[in-house]
Amino acid sequence: MNIQDNYLKNRKNIFFSLNKDIQIHREKLINIFENDSFDRKNNESLKNINLKNFINFKYKYLISEETSVINNTQENNYSIVSVNGQCSSFKDDKIEITKISDEDYNDFSENNTIEKNDHFVNLNSLFLNSGFKIIIKKNNNIKIKISNIVTDDDLTIFQKNNIICEEGSSLNLIEEYENKNNATSNILNVIKLEKNSQLNHFLIQDNSPNHNLIITSHSSCKKNSTYNQKVYNFSEGYVRNFHYSELIETNSETDLQGIFFLKDDNKSNNKTFVKHLAEDCKSNQVYKGILNDYSKATYFSNTHVDQVAQKTEGYQLSKGILLSDNASYFSKPELKIYADDVKCSHGSTIGPIDENSIFYLRSRGMSKIAATKILISSFINEELSSIDNEQMYEIIQKKLVRYLSKVK
Amino acid sequence: MNSETLNTLDSYSKNKYKYGFVTEIDEEKPKKGLNEDIIKFISLKKNEPEWMLKWRLKAFSKWKKMKEPKWANLNFPEIDYQNIYYYSAPKGFEKKPKDLSEVDPKLIETYNKLGIPLEEQKVLAGVAVDVVFDSVSVATTYKGELEKLGIIFCSIGEAIQKHPDLIKKYLGSVIPAGDHSFSALNSAVFTDGSFVYIPEGVKCPMELSTYFRINAENTGQFERTLIIADKGSYVSYLEGCTAPKRDDNQLHAANVELIALENAEIKYSTVQNWYPGDEDGKGGIYNFVTKRGLCAGKNSKISWTQVETGSAITWKYPSCILKGDNSIGEFYSVAITNNFQQADTGTKMTHIGKNTKSKIISKGISLGKSQNTYRGEVSFLRKADKARNYTQCDSLLVGNNCGAHTVPYIDSKNNTAVIEHEASTSKINEDQLYYCRQRGLSHEEAVSLIVNGFCKQVLQELPMEFAVEAQKLVSISLEGSVG
Repeated sequence: MNIQDNYLKNRKNIFFSLNKDIQIHREKLINIFENDSFDRKNNESLKNINLKNFINFKYKYLISEETSVINNTQENNYSIVSVNGQCSSFKDDKIEITKISDEDYNDFSENNTIEKNDHFVNLNSLFLNSGFKIIIKKNNNIKIKISNIVTDDDLTIFQKNNIICEEGSSLNLIEEYENKNNATSNILNVIKLEKNSQLNHFLIQDNSPNHNLIITSHSSCKKNSTYNQKVYNFSEGYVRNFHYSELIETNSETDLQGIFFLKDDNKSNNKTFVKHLAEDCKSNQVYKGILNDYSKATYFSNTHVDQVAQKTEGYQLSKGILLSDNASYFSKPELKIYADDVKCSHGSTIGPIDENSIFYLRSRGMSKIAATKILISSFINEELSSIDNEQMYEIIQKKLVRYLSKVK
Repeated sequence: MNSETLNTLDSYSKNKYKYGFVTEIDEEKPKKGLNEDIIKFISLKKNEPEWMLKWRLKAFSKWKKMKEPKWANLNFPEIDYQNIYYYSAPKGFEKKPKDLSEVDPKLIETYNKLGIPLEEQKVLAGVAVDVVFDSVSVATTYKGELEKLGIIFCSIGEAIQKHPDLIKKYLGSVIPAGDHSFSALNSAVFTDGSFVYIPEGVKCPMELSTYFRINAENTGQFERTLIIADKGSYVSYLEGCTAPKRDDNQLHAANVELIALENAEIKYSTVQNWYPGDEDGKGGIYNFVTKRGLCAGKNSKISWTQVETGSAITWKYPSCILKGDNSIGEFYSVAITNNFQQADTGTKMTHIGKNTKSKIISKGISLGKSQNTYRGEVSFLRKADKARNYTQCDSLLVGNNCGAHTVPYIDSKNNTAVIEHEASTSKINEDQLYYCRQRGLSHEEAVSLIVNGFCKQVLQELPMEFAVEAQKLVSISLEGSVG
């Protein structure tokens, strides 16, 4: 079924399908799909992807009987269970959670200047069926944990979340994606950081082989704000992590990091994109991957420095370890620089585990497998040891042990 | 940036192109435009055998179906292929002169202005020059000495007549005519270029060199160079260019193919200083070059070195296909862009054989309002066990109206291969400038010194004859805008 028929048939299930402005926007999107030749060479969002599955999908969405729960466990600590991308409303003097509104939709579609050619974001806008908005009020220091649950098989979830950190606020956000059903989640997070705010965002991804997760984030940072993102991808199903960040006012910072562990014939596509639009901003992009068996991964990193963004510091690092003959890794670290007073660099390495190190460990009596495991752990040690939340550290350790147990 | 720098920037950005002059020689031209007739005309003029004409026409039919590659970070008006002359040769050159005295004196004068007097070069240390003036080889020197060793060094036109077996076997074997639209175009209409064959076990005793020169207005030059190094041989080849000042954009689409068999080594060095257009971005050469080397045999080596300072548009990716086990590919590049120049240059290293190694050193310097892009691909295929790559690309930005971009593609399909890539972008270090100035250097001298140091890693790879010229070129290019 083509995109247009699919959309028309399921329109009643889709958010804002009665809003005229949004209808016009969606017609444009449908046009893009019908006229695009899906040129893989020039579109990074298409590499390593079986397009048919994603474009000729069967749309199914249910509002589950299970309702989402919001708990205020301790002071400033919230835990949220979002079911099929929906979350019930909540309000106190520190945070406010509401359904996503058509204004939020328009706001994103009008201000999305970074990447217009990403078909998965367009699909998300077209079939939007869930999502919520979280506002952290001024000068509050909050911790939130969100568990994303999908209830039924074959669901196609198109979710758009808005996260807004108001002036001077600070948010520690842990998102968990652990699903066993055969479903597809296409999630777009639109994140706005106001003056002096900070967001530490952790994404723990651990889905079963038949669950596809497509997660995209667009963050924008105002003066003195900081956005730190850490992605831990242990999924056995396909995961796409595309994260865009814009530094729109001075002295803001963004740090996009990720580690992924792939095995079997799993695939993962990753992209980070930082756009420097103001002076004195810093950015860092670090991705590390371990690939076993027949797995395939891509990582695109991109630093764009605008002409006005003097005194920029932008760094990129990409590291990949291939554990098997049949694994493959593609990386494209890109710098686009239009200002002269900048310090920008990227580094990229792909290779096996260092043989000398293995030899060293084996000469001290370790088996080859044990040595390999130790070296994998140390490869990502930097990322693990920077986790200051003890509970989370343990969760990730467990998942790492599970992955290592399959390494032979 | 201080006011002094800005002043010098200003004064030097008005610097005129030193080699801008035109030699007036009667030229024999067919009509403008590209069609089968013109290809037949070229083939007839070059007195080519039937199979060559067929080869050209096949390439032309492919070209008609193709579109220009669009992925490069370049902006230029669409090329009107029907508004270009595809063949121009100075009159009376169908019969080649036996020695320099028979050559048109005006031509000799042109070379003297460029600082490459042929007579002197005959005497000077071992450089045999095969000069391409527009489309016909003018003079070939040192031929005798090379012949003694069995080395074939002649124009490609002559090789088609005299060595059809080699041409049939190797022409288009590394760059197929249908590779992309510029290679198809070149295959259809190429007029001249060099052909080198080094027989088994021979180390070529001198550096072979060609000076290309675009002279006639609106004449695209389509050279085709083919270098074959047979088993255990060695050759070093130099290519250098300067072009007279013109306002019309001139198209240049050359193809260079290198083939290194077992244990052979080819070193290919280029200094490119064609007319880059004036300070308003008007005119200049469009340079779309396809250069590709095939390390066909075991232990073979191909090394590319390039200094790119000219051309309004540079689209050039000298690449290596490392097919033989233990083969080595190297790429050293300095690209300087000024005013409105645009350069999208880099390399492609394809590792196929075991233990193959490649090294990429690229230095980009952007000045004025130019855009300078490094675009390179390194790929390890499944069977490239223990392959190794090291890539370093550094960019220097001078002034805040220019852009420096780095776009590497890294693809590994083998888990024993190791790839390392690093890149940095920055402006000229203030501390280094301060240090130099403290010791009495002027601002301009200091910048020139630092930039030369920045490029040294690449310049030192050039053969002696070229290194001096290249260093001068770097300084001249900088004069345009650095204080």
